[in-house]
Amino acid sequence: MRFVGFLTRRIVGIAAVMVGVSIITFAISHVIPADPAVAALGDHATPDQIAAFRAEYHLDRPLGEQYVTYVTGILRGDLGRSIRTRRPVAEDLADFFPATIELSFAALLVSIVVGLPAGVWSAVFRGRLPDHLVRVLSLVGGSIPVFWLGLIVIGLGYYQLGWFPGGGRIDTFVAPPPTRTGLYVVDSLLAGDLDALRSSLIHLVLPALTLGYFSTAVVARMTRSSMLEVLGQDYIRTARAKGLHERLVVWRHGLRNALIPTVTIIGLIFGSLLSGAVLTETIFSWPGLGRYATASAISLDFPAVLGVTLLAAVVYPVANLVVDIAYFWLDPRTQRG
Amino acid sequence: MAERAVAAFPMRASRVVARAPILRNPLNVTAIALIAAFTLCALFAPLLAPHDPLAQSLGTRLEPPSSAHWLGTDQLGRDLASRLLYGARISLFIGILVVVSAGAFGTLVGLVAGYAGGLVDELLMRLTEVFLAFPALILAMAIAGALGPSLTNAIIAIAAVTWAVYARLVRGQILSLRRREFVEAARSIGASHMRILARHLLPNAVAPLLIQASFDMGSAIISAAGLSFIGFGAQPPTPEWGVMISEGRNFISTQPWLSLFPGLAILLAVGAFNLLGDGLRDVLDPRLRGPLA
Amino acid sequence: MPLRRSSVLFALALLVAAACAPATTPGGTTTPSATAGGAASTLVIYDDTSDLISLDPAVLYEFSGVLLAHNVYETLVRFEGTDLANIKPGLATSWDIKEGPSTTDITFKLKSGVKFASGNALTADDVVYSVQRAIKLNKSPAFLFTDVAGLKEDSVKASDPTTVVFSLPKTASAQAFLSILTFTLGSVVDSKEVKAKESAGDSGSGYLLDHSAGSGPFVVDHWAKNTEVLIKANPNYGGTKPALGGVLTKHVPESTNQQFALEKGDADIARDLTPQQISALQGKAGVTTTSANSLLLVYVGMNAMVKPLDNVNVREALRTAVDYDGIVKDLLKGNAKKVQGIIPQGLAGHNESAPFQQDVAKAQALMKQANVDKVTLDFLIPTGQAPGGTAWADLAAKLQADWGKIGVTVNIKQTTTADLLGTYRAQKGQLVMINWGPDYPDPDANVAPFTDYKAKSIAFRNGWDDATIAQKGHDAALITDPAKRATAYKEITEYVLHNGPYVVLYQPTALFGLRSNVKGFAWSAIGWADYAAVSK
Repeated sequence: MRFVGFLTRRIVGIAAVMVGVSIITFAISHVIPADPAVAALGDHATPDQIAAFRAEYHLDRPLGEQYVTYVTGILRGDLGRSIRTRRPVAEDLADFFPATIELSFAALLVSIVVGLPAGVWSAVFRGRLPDHLVRVLSLVGGSIPVFWLGLIVIGLGYYQLGWFPGGGRIDTFVAPPPTRTGLYVVDSLLAGDLDALRSSLIHLVLPALTLGYFSTAVVARMTRSSMLEVLGQDYIRTARAKGLHERLVVWRHGLRNALIPTVTIIGLIFGSLLSGAVLTETIFSWPGLGRYATASAISLDFPAVLGVTLLAAVVYPVANLVVDIAYFWLDPRTQRG
Repeated sequence: MAERAVAAFPMRASRVVARAPILRNPLNVTAIALIAAFTLCALFAPLLAPHDPLAQSLGTRLEPPSSAHWLGTDQLGRDLASRLLYGARISLFIGILVVVSAGAFGTLVGLVAGYAGGLVDELLMRLTEVFLAFPALILAMAIAGALGPSLTNAIIAIAAVTWAVYARLVRGQILSLRRREFVEAARSIGASHMRILARHLLPNAVAPLLIQASFDMGSAIISAAGLSFIGFGAQPPTPEWGVMISEGRNFISTQPWLSLFPGLAILLAVGAFNLLGDGLRDVLDPRLRGPLA
Repeated sequence: MPLRRSSVLFALALLVAAACAPATTPGGTTTPSATAGGAASTLVIYDDTSDLISLDPAVLYEFSGVLLAHNVYETLVRFEGTDLANIKPGLATSWDIKEGPSTTDITFKLKSGVKFASGNALTADDVVYSVQRAIKLNKSPAFLFTDVAGLKEDSVKASDPTTVVFSLPKTASAQAFLSILTFTLGSVVDSKEVKAKESAGDSGSGYLLDHSAGSGPFVVDHWAKNTEVLIKANPNYGGTKPALGGVLTKHVPESTNQQFALEKGDADIARDLTPQQISALQGKAGVTTTSANSLLLVYVGMNAMVKPLDNVNVREALRTAVDYDGIVKDLLKGNAKKVQGIIPQGLAGHNESAPFQQDVAKAQALMKQANVDKVTLDFLIPTGQAPGGTAWADLAAKLQADWGKIGVTVNIKQTTTADLLGTYRAQKGQLVMINWGPDYPDPDANVAPFTDYKAKSIAFRNGWDDATIAQKGHDAALITDPAKRATAYKEITEYVLHNGPYVVLYQPTALFGLRSNVKGFAWSAIGWADYAAVSK
């Protein structure tokens, strides 16, 4: 019962945040008189065409009215029409978001699979070479500009060595799997299409490593410090004193307790991956939300920018909610809310 | 950019503002030395730079590193080393401005929320949640897109996504401190609200703020470079590091140094601030001092 | 235990993803399908197609869309290959221009036996439908029909299944109209097919957005937004069958990625390489490069309503201070022509005269003559790459340095094209750098916007209201004798060269990187290539 109450409160909280986000984004995109119609129609458009376009997109209406139209639209699931692509924003998001989700999950997976063991390893060998190595690599990971890393990674992995493809989600001559979730890896598994699976996996490698390096560093550092704390605790000493095998002590008793703060950080990471995706997608020709957001912002396409920000803004609290639910299970004593 | 995760590193209450111990760790010394070096570069760029960072020479464009041009020249024949030195100025300036403005605003909001409590607290904390919910770069892009690309707008945008962390930090500190004896004592002898805030609560909340500020210096520099990279940042011909990488990327197979060196500069500068943040935390947070040092 | 828990977490996260992903795919969502004929016969083009918004010839007006639609649809008359001087028969075998009492009437005789990709026969009704549809939809390109050619919906009639008659008002130039008809706006669409796909009075524009209904050598197979467009050979095409099975245009905006992919053999053609990359490619195995004319002009507009730019000597000083040779030879590595008039090379009436090259002393003297000592101006420039392949920012920095030498300080303000055009259109710019390309290959497509304040185009944006030169431009547009027309344009361009509010910097060259096995690729200066002639 306590769980249900917690969930309700959180969902109401998220809804409140969404209203705030929509107002702020709407305000931001309307603070200047720059005219998206000019952007959409370009250099050669006649004044009459611009006027007609403004009327078609209701850009000539008062601001308050535009906001009301916009919000009532959202309540019906209508995010408006993109000024740049001329398509419903919801359709654009549906087309582009899965690519970003897939990339972000791959990056998250990298950070867990690499970051967790690295952190444990580092803690166990505190002060010795593996520890120094992990700490240096995570310091670099936390300090390297992702777009610069992407340039280096694509230059080496694709251009110089030729081990990995140089961008895109799937090979030019491999048909993408039929759309179910929009995640190529999942869809090709569902369709049993091994060619598509192999191709989409290999296309994920470089962008996921690029995007995931930062979060891997965060996870490794987090795991390291909480492991160190846990390994100093009495019950670990007790376990050791009881003569339990060191590996068992570390992985069973240590990591289990050290994991809680790490799980928390994963929720925060997921939100930040979306930001990193903007730059990573640019470098790797990844047809995702980040590239869509950049192009939309450049052309003052505020329905699209609003749509992206709303979606992005919902991902962060939802990811945190998921983490909190996991947390709830990991540690039933926690009382949250 | 993923800067928020840096901010999410665990911050713990601290009682002691330590003095010398920070210099005991060679890593911290390295960090401080690096930051000092960058600061010196920034302050004395006109003296240190071998050339005018804006002086063009089309006859000697795209030259590899040489004795005349230590790091080579760019597509307009400008000296890359000089541009990097002046770039330190811009990056440090961005970092300081973001941290000071976001820190000050966030601290104010946090103080008010933590001290006032009740409805005010509730409203302000919802507001910080709104800002924390935005992926930083996307909000910054929306702001920079609407206001027009410029360094100032990039700084505004980054500060706008940074302040909320400070608000939460300060509020948390205040909440844990306000029930403590010395505050109660101050209140009982009739000290004013302002006085309690200024004399008792704020100084005690300084340590975690310092740690956060150090990390944020680094992430502000990275964020600004990222915004510049996609065209929402510094104006040409400003020698901003992100812009330089962006300009250099089309020359990556022929003149790789054009994007390599500015990238290294960012890596070093941001790395130094992250190291300092680590060092400060180790020193200021007694619980972690041993293991992480 | 920990492992199990983290996998629970991951599964949870996956669920969220699945919930966010589109549960049901909307009807229009394209699933990129296997390409026609596989890798061997598909030409892969890496291109920045950010501007692509529609494949409907009555709607599209962007470079990427024009290039694709040109290969999918046919027009009544056409330019062949790269020749832009002679209008040739297309779907019409012949045409006849008659001066009526109040109109100019042009009668087209259609080729017989032409079939659309659907198998439907192409008749005069299809032509009338296509023109009326474009006028009715009134999208970006429609002004060419309605404003330039003065057409209304009832100006076009089918007198029999193979004859179409257009009636133009006397103010419109029949020659310009023929040029317009070669453009994708003049594409003839399959009226039966389109009418069948109409929904809610959209004249089929929802369907034609990402499908085709034409008679050209290719048909649209699919357009995966933000990813790729595949056009496949049209089996019902009546002309010479294309050697290629299909052409795949992949959206890859980064020129570095284009270069890498070309060298690796993943791309057959790279569209957005810089001069630096082109020269790096030369001599590499398996790749070759080519260049082609374009009709673009890169220029700086000087707002004549802003002091001291209202002074003709100051404007001349700014023109005189620029190092054009440095820009063309160094920044662009020779991939541009030093053109300084308002009509580009390749159009009738182009003026060879390019008298300006940096002369600081002369420019300073001009400033003195204008009694202007030091001046600070805002210099608005777009983001990204300028035509010809140098960054706008570098071009601006170069001009800033040049003008600095004569005491003119400019503050570079780089902004999105959207923002820039907004300011420029509202006459609020001071110095604005941008490029211009003619809407159709006729000198009037440049002269009218550059000289006529009332046209509310470039002259208006720069606050340059000179009624005499505008009138001369109008008159020149209607001259039918080529020699007389050339003389008229020489006078106009010469005048604008020294009196106008423009610094024309250069006419860029279009650059392409190709795999060595790609044959027959010829780029027309108007912005397209006939893929039917290409093989690999």
